[in-house]
Amino acid sequence: MKHESAKALLIGTLGVAAAMSLAMIASHVSPIVGFNAFFYGAFGGKQEIAETLASTTALLFPALGIAIAFRAGLFNIGAEGQLLVGGLLAGWIGTRIDVPPAPAIAAIFIAGALGGALWGAIAGWLKATRGANEVISTLMLNFIAASLALYLVTGPLRAPDAAGPELSLLPHAYWLPTLLSHTRATIALPIALLAAFALRYVLDRTWYGYRLRAAGEAPEAARRAGISLSRVALWAMAWSGALAGMGGAALVAGELHRFNTQLSPGYGFIAIAVALVGGLEPLAICLAALAFGALESGGLALQAAAAVPKDAIHVIEGVLVFALAARRYLGARGTATR
Amino acid sequence: MTLSLLFSLLALALVRGTPILLASLGGVLSERAGIVNIALEGEMTAGAFAAALISFFTRDPWIGALGGVAVAAAVGFALGFAATRWRVDQIVAGMGINLICTGGAAFGLIFVFNQAGVTPQVPAINQALWPLVLLGILLAAALQWVLSRTPIGLRLRACGENPHAARAAGIDPLAMRLYASTIAGALAGLGGVFLALGELNLYSDGMIAGRGFIALAAVIFGRWTPLGAAGVALIFGLLEALQFALQGNIAWLPSDFLQALPYIAALIALLGASGRYRPPAAEGKPYP
Repeated sequence: MKHESAKALLIGTLGVAAAMSLAMIASHVSPIVGFNAFFYGAFGGKQEIAETLASTTALLFPALGIAIAFRAGLFNIGAEGQLLVGGLLAGWIGTRIDVPPAPAIAAIFIAGALGGALWGAIAGWLKATRGANEVISTLMLNFIAASLALYLVTGPLRAPDAAGPELSLLPHAYWLPTLLSHTRATIALPIALLAAFALRYVLDRTWYGYRLRAAGEAPEAARRAGISLSRVALWAMAWSGALAGMGGAALVAGELHRFNTQLSPGYGFIAIAVALVGGLEPLAICLAALAFGALESGGLALQAAAAVPKDAIHVIEGVLVFALAARRYLGARGTATR
Repeated sequence: MTLSLLFSLLALALVRGTPILLASLGGVLSERAGIVNIALEGEMTAGAFAAALISFFTRDPWIGALGGVAVAAAVGFALGFAATRWRVDQIVAGMGINLICTGGAAFGLIFVFNQAGVTPQVPAINQALWPLVLLGILLAAALQWVLSRTPIGLRLRACGENPHAARAAGIDPLAMRLYASTIAGALAGLGGVFLALGELNLYSDGMIAGRGFIALAAVIFGRWTPLGAAGVALIFGLLEALQFALQGNIAWLPSDFLQALPYIAALIALLGASGRYRPPAAEGKPYP
């Protein structure tokens, strides 16, 4: 690790610790008690570690997807919608097929990827053919995805046996196997890690990844070198959405075991922060997702044990993002969001 | 459709559109000075929450409104300061600010009122709703004039197009960007105040509901001009109002589709309005 990055990381960590201490003191909780509850909640036992890993997984898929788009110079803020559409298709397929578990789980993940890719590709297509600003289109598609999902689960696709507006439960055989028994940590995590390694290889070592990065870093030069910027935009958005959609599939098959509109409490938005904190590098994003996953589950424990509202965690995540945004000033290289 | 129905529809459109309009004016101002403003959502949240909080404790809604604007201006100042003095990545910093503001408001609700989700009812300025609507439209016209016809507007635009040339002409781009970002925060905050104290008399979690991002879309659709952004913001308001008017009146149209109407319309508009927008040349680029 470079000296400057280490310095930025140290300052970021200190900033988070300071912000958390302030939040605890503001809530009349001794920081010693608070940090104890926090670390116990994040890493204290099997159940706690599993919760951290589950949050990590939920953030890692969309964060990797966001990194693809950002590396291609596309500010995709639509991961939330892509995750939702992916989860919808995954949850639908899972109740419609009748095959052995392994191919069924594969089909659920593929359906999630396809759903997310389709939703991302709409924005990519608008960018490629009409030059439409992807910030607007992905944002609008988030709202449209939420309405579409609500319409489908309350209307045409509503499960006859369901208590609320949701799809039917997946057959028990199709639930993702757990890493730690009786927890929410499932094999979705190794799948996400595999995706991270694959993404790193593709981005750094292949002609395809090179074109994508060139389009993001120097679009004019890339265009003159014969790279089709519109094709890169279309495919980068599709792949970006595919990963977010796989995140939706993982939530459906691994946690809720059915699709409903409460699938994601904003994972697609927090994942933007995760991707940026990870500097848009797939392997660093894995670490960032773990840090944010620990913050999420530790934050819940903090709320339960020490009455510090969980929302304080979002403030702390914001401070972390803000601190890392300033790391150019702190002496390290800036992130390449453009 | 009867005339009175049409009027009530337009009235609703103005009320729904004004908070978006105010925030989009802030967006235009900061982006023309060269600062990407992803933080509008957070600034609106800060304005709305601070206004409700201060109104609750002072029992004076006008002090609350002023306080809300001031707090949001401070958030805009923080973004501007980080962008100019620390040369941060503005999009990353903006995302950070959004997290801090929405999380901070939710934290504040529990910390101050000891309840999640919503403040108690606070003194409001509902009687000032229409004057505020008018103020928004006048501000759009005034800002258009300032940006396009006055020396200070020219200087501000120079900082967003070519800060090095602006520097050579004796303008301080860093100061200009800092001022613009601060005023942008104040305008977005006024949008939040409009929602919390103008339309309602409380703050609730998720009240801003993406309006800051819609305002960002209005900035881009309006091609970075105040009148353009204001017009798009009011069209968003009209689509929202139409959704209320049509709800339950058209049996074959599902209401969830109507809820998505403004967003679908924006997506279709993107098909038509392609390639004709060009952001300020130096937008998002740290100076020097």
